[in-house]
Amino acid sequence: MGKLIMFHGRECPHCRAMMPLVDKLIAEGAAIEKLEVWHDEKNADLMRSYRPVITAKCGGQLRVPTFINPETSDAACGEMPYEKLKAWAQG
Amino acid sequence: MKKKYWRCFVCNDIHWGVRPPQICPTCGIVHAYVEISAREAKGILGPQAEPDFAVDDFRRAIAAFAETTEFKVNPDTERVDLLLSGIAANEQNHGLRYCPCRLRSKEFEEDLKIVCPCNFLIHETYKGVEKGECWCGLFIKR
Repeated sequence: MGKLIMFHGRECPHCRAMMPLVDKLIAEGAAIEKLEVWHDEKNADLMRSYRPVITAKCGGQLRVPTFINPETSDAACGEMPYEKLKAWAQG
Repeated sequence: MKKKYWRCFVCNDIHWGVRPPQICPTCGIVHAYVEISAREAKGILGPQAEPDFAVDDFRRAIAAFAETTEFKVNPDTERVDLLLSGIAANEQNHGLRYCPCRLRSKEFEEDLKIVCPCNFLIHETYKGVEKGECWCGLFIKR
């Protein structure tokens, strides 16, 4: 499993809901970097750099949470069950 | 269709739109609006605008907004409090009340679509969904 990115917002309830699932995945060995985008403009710009990839998978919008695999340029967004997140992370 | 500024010649209400209102919503005068410049509009609005629109003001505004509609403010107060704090932070840090569950693109016209309340009636999380809600969950179907 390659290194993944989770873009999230500090005051986003969907992001908060996903955090324990992401932490569980990290505890199982996944490499997921969590980057907050509303209070960190550098992280926001990084998320924007993936705009074509994200909007294609996320209803045409930049939504959080968004998960990115930089190696494959694959994206997933929104709340999802743990197993679905894990399956996506494993490619 | 380009929006313009309009001013009621009786009570100085300002309207921004493609065309002026037929009736001034403040003083009730018919055919009261004249087109004005953006500078004049800002000159009138600037000194009179409320210096602050606090979280509780916005809470009251969205409750009134949803009062007679097919949707309502989410009864999950913890979720609403979190969202309102994010919306207030976004206004403070980025100038407008952007949705905390999306990210602005830095394209002004595009980003107006994520100012809260956004037009969530057309979103796939709401339209045609039995228990539909806006993307962040601030508004839910009744």
